[in-house]
Amino acid sequence: MPLDQIIRLALLVIFSVNAALVTALVTLKTVHRRRMRLHEKRRQGYLAVLSRHLSYEHCTDPITEDMAEDPAFLDALIDMRNAITGDEVATLRRIVNRHGVIERQVRHLDSSLLLGRRLRAAVAIAEIGDETAADALMRHLDDREPEIRIQCARGLGRIQWTPAIDQIVSRFSGEDPWVRARFSDTLVGYGTKATWPLLAYVRINHRFESKGPALALRTIGQIQDDQAVGPMLEILDDAADLDVQLATIEALGELASPEALPALVDLLDDEVWQLRAKAASAMGGIGDPEAIPRMFGSLRDENWWVRRSAAAALARLPGGVDALYAALEDEDRYAADAAAEALTDAGELVSARRRIDAGVSDNEPLLAHMERGVVA
Amino acid sequence: MIFEVLRWLGYGTIAYFIVMQVYLIVLALLSGAALRRNHHLRRFGRVGEMLSSRTTPPITIVIPAYNEAAGIVDSVRSMSIVKYPRFEIVITNDGSSDQTLDSLIAAFDLEKVRIPYRPDLDCAPVRAIYRGRSGVDITVIDKENGGRADALNAGINAARHPYVLCTDADVVLDPDCLVHAMQRVVEDRERTVGVGGNVRPLNGSRVELGHLIEASVPHGLIARMQILEYVRTFLASRPGWSWMNALPNVSGAFGIWKKSVIVEVGGFTRGHMGEDMDLTMRVHRHLLDRKIPYRIVYEPSAVIWTEVPDTARVLRRQRIRWHRGLMTTVKDFFGMTFNPRYRQVGMVSWGGFVLFEFLAPIIEFLGWIVVPTAWALGALNTTALGAMLLVAFGMGLMNSIIALLLDESYGYFNSPADTSRLIAVAVIENFGLRQMTVVWRIRALVGGKGTRSWGNMERRGVANLARQE
Repeated sequence: MPLDQIIRLALLVIFSVNAALVTALVTLKTVHRRRMRLHEKRRQGYLAVLSRHLSYEHCTDPITEDMAEDPAFLDALIDMRNAITGDEVATLRRIVNRHGVIERQVRHLDSSLLLGRRLRAAVAIAEIGDETAADALMRHLDDREPEIRIQCARGLGRIQWTPAIDQIVSRFSGEDPWVRARFSDTLVGYGTKATWPLLAYVRINHRFESKGPALALRTIGQIQDDQAVGPMLEILDDAADLDVQLATIEALGELASPEALPALVDLLDDEVWQLRAKAASAMGGIGDPEAIPRMFGSLRDENWWVRRSAAAALARLPGGVDALYAALEDEDRYAADAAAEALTDAGELVSARRRIDAGVSDNEPLLAHMERGVVA
Repeated sequence: MIFEVLRWLGYGTIAYFIVMQVYLIVLALLSGAALRRNHHLRRFGRVGEMLSSRTTPPITIVIPAYNEAAGIVDSVRSMSIVKYPRFEIVITNDGSSDQTLDSLIAAFDLEKVRIPYRPDLDCAPVRAIYRGRSGVDITVIDKENGGRADALNAGINAARHPYVLCTDADVVLDPDCLVHAMQRVVEDRERTVGVGGNVRPLNGSRVELGHLIEASVPHGLIARMQILEYVRTFLASRPGWSWMNALPNVSGAFGIWKKSVIVEVGGFTRGHMGEDMDLTMRVHRHLLDRKIPYRIVYEPSAVIWTEVPDTARVLRRQRIRWHRGLMTTVKDFFGMTFNPRYRQVGMVSWGGFVLFEFLAPIIEFLGWIVVPTAWALGALNTTALGAMLLVAFGMGLMNSIIALLLDESYGYFNSPADTSRLIAVAVIENFGLRQMTVVWRIRALVGGKGTRSWGNMERRGVANLARQE
């Protein structure tokens, strides 16, 4: 084909594509606004219908098949579910079941090829929280799409489906970090029911991997089940991986049990600075004033982060603020600065200024320290 | 002989632009695929999960401020109510000669403090540190003037959290931007060292109390052209590069970095005019040289709004500065260009950047000389020339329209008037505006007086910007 014909053809194609793109853009922009407006209008209408159904048992406002397929209806259902509690939730579930909403969404989740539709279905099932969908949710914990796995776990957590706990915990290994983090949130929602499966998982896996067990330990810390303290101290004793050790210490701090104090005090002398810093922070969480003298020593630790962690932890202990004021006079300027920062964060700077302004005091050591200026 | 050389140089120049447009369109299509997926995930609520989760890492917002008295307080206020579970704000007053520091002290009830400050990164001497007493977790570092990079380094030194958001004093953050961006960190905390955000021009939009109320296209042609430029850059190329893990630049207006990695590479380069790209490329090189697995990603849902120049004079200064920055970066990282050792960064994104961003003005400028000369000497087939110019124009237009289509899912500029204005700019910019930027870039390459300083942006302040439009 001669060059001029190729160029002519190319020009024809390029400008046709451009014309098509411009048409698509203008149509989309025009349609988008209209679509959003109509969606919102329908959502409001559905909310009113649902509200009437919740208020009057024998409400005759129809909920048709078409409505149950409408994304705006799903949005209204989710909004309504999040706005109600108690008996109304059961009534809403009855309405949902009567009109086959969950079955429809399970069908979409199982067989739709469109990611958007599958995601919407998973979110709707998770938000509405209905036991009839439990099997489907369990099945889709292995879905190829991470976000759907997350929504399925959320849905199971929302209905407190106990058989799912082991399934979710076992997926801490080999799962995407983002999904794992969301699974952790779900397990926190299960409360103490998840403690032992998590502990069992950590015991079996902590020698072979770190990320999954570390998150499992942090999850236990957030559940705040006192019964976990003993087993966690054993894990701390046994663990060789730094991530696992740090997560255990963090969780012990969250559990705030004095039983963990001796082990944490020992860690203040560990050669690994991260362990020293984490142990100091955890001791702040436990809140036992007996730890003050030992933590006071950590204000002079050779590591910057250990000093700051110790100072911040001291501020959380009863009587710790007095120790920090004493540290302001420390000849080690780093210890004094760390103490000053912790006192500032604890609101002491504001209090000191108020005392001066009110004439209650004319000598505030924290303000005097601040006057000394920056020393890098 | 000379005729032949001129003819082929002329055709070569045009062919270069066609290849460039093909590269950009492929990149835009890749970006489209990445954005489509992001669009679904954004719609179905990740924000709430991040906000309520205790696994969400805390972050420090670092804001360098030099003579920003006009808008610094509004900006910081808008940042202080961003939706995020745990964050602090560190502002570096970079030796401002106006009332920047005083206005901050008054607005946030700051008190001079002496607290630990570890100078991990080099910066000009710190004069004082202030902490807020007004309930906002805010620290102000008052230091000698040293430039933006220097001020960022000082702010990073004072950061107490493991991630830092490096931004500007004249931006308006979308309330959800931090959650969206940090979600990419939580996705893979081990490997994620940087996250870039979607920067959009604020001019013409309605801002109240530091919040964007309504986005709309500004009246001036200069600002409108930049809207199109930003959409092309942030929606039609960065998502594609990010998908390849080859993002060559995390924007200085919104860049989240893992603090430990910034400290490892020595922070921002003081005095560099393109310090954001320089840092991004140094992090790539550092981690690729050491074969450490990492990723630097772009998050289109992390939207921030910034004031862009609305006069040719200020735009000229900005573009000269940017191109000087790019020149220095190209020189510093020349060894990475098309170097297989640096994988997709060297071979695709950085290579493409050097070829189609740095060299483009030089080749276009050469074209301006060669094509008319060849035509005057009768060495050029004018019909073929016209056709090829039309092809290049048509493909450039296609790239812009694809970018606007990609922007559609974000729901900004939806009115028919705004849409038609942007389509018109996509056509008009080819007749004068683009050529103007080529001249400025050539000016930057030539160097000399007026190209080595930062110049003033002449900011009106976020709160005043929309009112004066």
